[in-house]
Amino acid sequence: MASRVSLKSKAKGGKGSKGLDEKSTAQCLKEWSTWALKKAKVVTHYGFIPLVIIIGMNSDPKPQLYQLLSPV
Amino acid sequence: MAGLVPPGPTTVPAGESKKAEEKTDFMNLPCPIPFEELHREALMSLKPEAFEGLRFDFTKGLNQKFSLSHSVYMGPTEIPSQSAETIKIPTAHYEFGANFIDPNLMLIGRVLTDGRLNARVKWDLTDNLTVKANAQLSNEPHMSHGIVNFDYKGKDYRSQFQMGNAALFGASYIQSVTRHLSLGGEVFWAGQHRKSGIGYAARYETDKMVATGQVASTGVVALSYVQKVSEKVSLASDFMYNYITRDVTSSVGYDYILRQCRLRGKIDSNGCAAAYLEERLNMGLNFILSAEIDHRKKDYKFGFGLTVG
Repeated sequence: MASRVSLKSKAKGGKGSKGLDEKSTAQCLKEWSTWALKKAKVVTHYGFIPLVIIIGMNSDPKPQLYQLLSPV
Repeated sequence: MAGLVPPGPTTVPAGESKKAEEKTDFMNLPCPIPFEELHREALMSLKPEAFEGLRFDFTKGLNQKFSLSHSVYMGPTEIPSQSAETIKIPTAHYEFGANFIDPNLMLIGRVLTDGRLNARVKWDLTDNLTVKANAQLSNEPHMSHGIVNFDYKGKDYRSQFQMGNAALFGASYIQSVTRHLSLGGEVFWAGQHRKSGIGYAARYETDKMVATGQVASTGVVALSYVQKVSEKVSLASDFMYNYITRDVTSSVGYDYILRQCRLRGKIDSNGCAAAYLEERLNMGLNFILSAEIDHRKKDYKFGFGLTVG
């Protein structure tokens, strides 16, 4: 009896842990994608304008550095 | 008798070739305009970008493709309020922008003094496939939005797939049916707001006029008609009806494109009259006047500005 109960509880425990595993992979994926989106948002927020400036300064004909700041 | 030329076989082929020109070649229809630009002509005349206060824009080109822009704005900004009265708060901000415009790649970024970023990217991967992205990012949490569009242009059709944050998905398709008529449809699904909708649109265009109609399951029925009276003048009218909220708006407007200026005006069935003038004072120097008078809400907006470059 005790062995049966213990078997049952082991099985339940086994199923439970498998269920937890499945939940956690889906949740992990969600958490990672949310984390990645948050980081991407911060990177875009700070880096977009510098990226445009770098791409622009390297295009032909190459503009000079002082032209970035002077109003002429 | 000798002077009379008998109707010979020479006249018949000329008549036949004329008929052949008028018959449409259904295998060679022109590519329709993108679905989101369906009401383009009507919007240009009837919805000018009215603003209130002072606006000063300075665009400095560093080379053909790359330019920087500095923009100053001072004036009252409307904030959404629950009551019928409009609440305005005086604001002033400076906006710095960088633009890179290449035939294949376009990058436009604008950042405001309060940290908000407005970014637009348009990348032509191939002749037919284009990726567009538009994002408004701010430092406040949950106030940032972003949308990515994938556009595919076929011989006589265009299709678009759209993905946005807050689980927004959309798709649209427009097809040229005859030389003048194009029909299209769109469908969208917004996950977080639990909304979805489907809509159909039609556009009939000739050299002299454009008529468009759009129906959507969100309740919007929008019809517009633009007549190009001459090269300098076009007149537009617009009718919008929401069959769920039983809201009707109709407006009539004009667009004069003259040598030195562009004048647009409209009047609305909500008692709103607006006008927008862009005058070219000199090469690269534009003076802008904007006025919007809403008699029903008693909201009067007047703005002036200068654009350099």
